[in-house]
Amino acid sequence: MFFRMIKGALFRQKSKMIMIAVTIALGASLATAMLNIMLDVGDKVNQELKAYGANITVVPKESSVLNDLYALDEGEDASAHLKEEDLGKIKTIFWGFNIIDFSPFISTTVTAADGEAVKLNGAWFNHHLSLNTGEELDAGIHSLRSWWDVRSGQWIDEQKDGNENAVMVGAVYAERHRLATGDTITVSTANGSKALTVTGIFDAGGDEDEQLFTTVGNVQALSNNAGLIDSIEVSAITTPDNELARKAATKGPASLSPADYETWYCTAYVSSICYQIQEAIPDSVASPVRQVAESEGNILDKTQLLMVLITILSLFGSALGISNLVTASVMERSNEIGLLKAIGARDYSISGIVLTEIIITAIVGGVAGYFMGYGFAQIIGQTVFNASIEMKPMVIPLVAVLIVIVTLAGSIPAIRMLLRLRPAEVLHGR
Amino acid sequence: MKKQTMFLRMITASLLRRRSRMLVALLAIAVGATILSGLVTIYYDVPRQMGEQFRSYGANMIFTSSDSGKLTKSAIDKAVGSIKSSRVVGVAPYRYESVTVFERPVMAAGTDFEGVQKTSPYWRISGEWPSANGQALVGKETAETLALKAGDTVTLVYDLEGLPATADEASGGERKQNTRDFTVAGVLDTGGNEEKYIFISIGDMDALTGKSDVYDMAELSVSAAQDQLKSYVSTISAKVDGLSARMVKRVTQSENTVLSKLQALVLLVTVVVLLLTMICVATTMMAVVTERRREVGLRKALGASNRSIIYEFMGEGLLLGGIGGLIGSVCGFIFAQAVSMNVFNSSIQFHWLLIPVTILVSVLVTGLSCLLPVRSATEVDPALVLKGE
Repeated sequence: MFFRMIKGALFRQKSKMIMIAVTIALGASLATAMLNIMLDVGDKVNQELKAYGANITVVPKESSVLNDLYALDEGEDASAHLKEEDLGKIKTIFWGFNIIDFSPFISTTVTAADGEAVKLNGAWFNHHLSLNTGEELDAGIHSLRSWWDVRSGQWIDEQKDGNENAVMVGAVYAERHRLATGDTITVSTANGSKALTVTGIFDAGGDEDEQLFTTVGNVQALSNNAGLIDSIEVSAITTPDNELARKAATKGPASLSPADYETWYCTAYVSSICYQIQEAIPDSVASPVRQVAESEGNILDKTQLLMVLITILSLFGSALGISNLVTASVMERSNEIGLLKAIGARDYSISGIVLTEIIITAIVGGVAGYFMGYGFAQIIGQTVFNASIEMKPMVIPLVAVLIVIVTLAGSIPAIRMLLRLRPAEVLHGR
Repeated sequence: MKKQTMFLRMITASLLRRRSRMLVALLAIAVGATILSGLVTIYYDVPRQMGEQFRSYGANMIFTSSDSGKLTKSAIDKAVGSIKSSRVVGVAPYRYESVTVFERPVMAAGTDFEGVQKTSPYWRISGEWPSANGQALVGKETAETLALKAGDTVTLVYDLEGLPATADEASGGERKQNTRDFTVAGVLDTGGNEEKYIFISIGDMDALTGKSDVYDMAELSVSAAQDQLKSYVSTISAKVDGLSARMVKRVTQSENTVLSKLQALVLLVTVVVLLLTMICVATTMMAVVTERRREVGLRKALGASNRSIIYEFMGEGLLLGGIGGLIGSVCGFIFAQAVSMNVFNSSIQFHWLLIPVTILVSVLVTGLSCLLPVRSATEVDPALVLKGE
């Protein structure tokens, strides 16, 4: 009998139940979409902030010491170097997965054909790495220098043959020497000379506009530093610093208690990633670029907090929307409840019937709403970040609990109020 | 006149008598309006507030001399003057000179520390920022080389005729030198080139070198979008002689990318939330009105025209919408203010225009969602409605 009544109510009052289900679905989709976006926005914004370039630089440990001890000027041969072969190790550290880009740098001063000295930098452009973890990665300054405006020509494509002697020229230098793409410039050092073909002219809005960029191999040959590099710039996704990270950064990881050390080491703080890079690459000093590292954390925190507050508002809104409608629709049924009471139904069985109906509707609406919310989240993710939003499983119980609480909170007071009425009065229509 | 009084009486009476149900409807409308006014306020204010956060990346405009000479204070002031003063976050002029410390060449920079704290908020100091003349900020690398720490004294020597070219020249003969002692106020950690320098105040630099009003460059942090900066750059370069303004591409370009994404995110979220909220409000209103089909039927049976019934229901709906919209716009402002205080620690700019817009939108939404069920009720034969079919 109970089931027949519920079935009857659900099917006979189809349009009303559909309306409730639709409202619950809308509320649930809003909650799903906002919760998922809120949980994923940190990662997404972090990726976007990579536009600011590297947040960690790695230099050889002895560079400053050597220079100072022997009072040498910045002669290429005297300063210490890192080994190019060690570069792949960066991706093997504990937080290797968070390192999304890096490039070695080596520079030397060369003499151009007109006798003028110019700084020639070697770097990776889009160097292809196949790591022994099976990961494939294109690393280099193509994405690390995302703000470069390549005015004519294009980026050097290292993966294509015939680009070994390609060079990219800074806009200021190119203008002064009337260089265009396709021109050849001959640069020489004490170790020999090379003819390089201009493939692109870039505007970097800084010192680099007066410099040349070519492949690492060319600079190594010209400076007689086979297999060596000056520094590495690393772009890593990091967690904003907190008290623990600050303590580790100022006093050194050795000052932490074993438990704190574990937490610190296993969190992607910029300081712990630096520490791990130093462990992986022999004789290196990795330090955060404060300008990028500090600002990233700041902006990330603010964005996340903003999204949390907007999410709370929309959750509140959808909760009230659902409970309002449920209240309205229960109160509408005063006649039916009065009739049930008049023919002798107990209060608890009436509440049971009404609640079961509403909960069934809520479940249908909630499931539909979850998938609608999935769609909304993906639309937002694709439009804004060109990437899909990761659907966190923890959102499902959250939304389910929210909907159950909200529908119950919306219906129970209304049912109680109706039960308090006297059947005769209700049926009479007062 | 009488008709209007009756109309008002019917509306107010129905609102008051059906208090609990009307409260439900009003609550729904008010929440919808709160979300509307709150989110739109945040949407409009986010670029400004976030833009200020992005200033922590440091200077986004630099002034250099256009003719490889030096800048003067008046030129810098004139150039800064052509930017709206509320947009200028900070200005830090720099003057670089080679000095020697213990016979070792070091780059010293004279600057305005108050300006630097604003243009380069990411500088991390162990110790304190210099607050008086005679205090210096030493870059970490230089501090390690010279074994300096906060509280130490360092002597800067400036050769008035330029640095000696050879060691022989340095040891032999009298050199015209200015010497000054500085207390190391703090050690600077930036992870960049600044770690190699010693920073002193402009006044100290002038005294040390015996020359004043010569600057190499000035860094500016301007709270403005890329296009706006571009126009500032071209006006300044044209207007001020001997000074060329440049954007720091790394900062401006990246800020443009990230900020536009963030704005798009807030916009989309706002649109989705608003859309869903409006639908929720509409369904609630529809449920409240549908319930009154019997009333509609009774009135029709008593001889009311469809038109007057629709007018009355609309009147009720519009009144509810207006009150809900007003409550909502106030609550929305409070919410937006709370968000702004929590997230950005600054108060929000309220757009007064948003109050009428919020009220208008909530009136429209409630009006429309009343209209649909009332019309379907009036179209049905009153006998059928009253019978309950």
